[in-house]
Amino acid sequence: MSRSLLRSVLELRTPVSRLSPTPLLPIRARLMHQTSQIIEPSPVAPESIINNTAVKQPPQQTSTSTTPPPSNPVHQQPSPLSPASLDPSIGTLLPLLAAQPAHYITIHIHGRPYLVTAGDQLRLPFKMPGVVPGDVLRLNRASTLGSRDFTLRGAPYVDERLFECRAVVLGTEAEPMRVMIKKKRRCRRKRHVFSKHKYTVLRISEVKVAKLGEMEV
Amino acid sequence: MSYFRITLHRSAIGLPERTRGVLAALGLRKRSQTVFHPVHPQFAGMIMKVKELVRVEEVDRPLSKKEVKAERTPEPGFYVERPAEGGRVGL
Repeated sequence: MSRSLLRSVLELRTPVSRLSPTPLLPIRARLMHQTSQIIEPSPVAPESIINNTAVKQPPQQTSTSTTPPPSNPVHQQPSPLSPASLDPSIGTLLPLLAAQPAHYITIHIHGRPYLVTAGDQLRLPFKMPGVVPGDVLRLNRASTLGSRDFTLRGAPYVDERLFECRAVVLGTEAEPMRVMIKKKRRCRRKRHVFSKHKYTVLRISEVKVAKLGEMEV
Repeated sequence: MSYFRITLHRSAIGLPERTRGVLAALGLRKRSQTVFHPVHPQFAGMIMKVKELVRVEEVDRPLSKKEVKAERTPEPGFYVERPAEGGRVGL
């Protein structure tokens, strides 16, 4: 037990010590960032997560020299409209998240999570009733919203005023026909049952983080 | 006036006929079915008979079947913001 622990600690340490000063660095850094962000729990205690508020993770400090710190809060604006229902950390950290482009978002459609970014094509596991190709859907339930260094986590959902996510209905896809053979014992007759399901395909057209000043109320 | 919100949590399979009779009298047929009964000694006694099988809460008003279902259903998470230009063809 103690040996395996020691080994795991050593394994954890090695990438740091093996960091090369060559241009490989940013790639390595990004990898480390992603893994550490997934593994590490939020530093903020769960008591501070009030419903409909969120917790920000500060950028990980594992490799300080490699990644440039998130761009300075140029976008930081006075936020007069920030409602009292939001966590105070959002006021300081949301501009940082908004300043880092390429956001990902975990949207929830009928309670199921889909982690997407802008431009993704998403095949839902069902045919959405009542929509036709070309419809623009506004997705308003998300549990996480993040960029490379920051993650905004909802409890359970991120406040829907903090982001805008839209999707365009591209159409429906069909799976190949399934054939299931039904056969009873001691009887030669076989019955074929066919089924072919249809799935709605969406394209995520927009993932935008709101600026606190111009939040829709 | 308050109500008991009674949910059958464990099945009555293999239990004595008398216990199943109590569940039938409460109107519980299958697991996770929810019924509402007014707070009254008669119903409290019935709940005591099957207390190992049900979960009970006290609520202010009975919910309809639709409302109970709506509690369980997750939100859709989307709405049609702008319909397609060509109209609702191919729907």
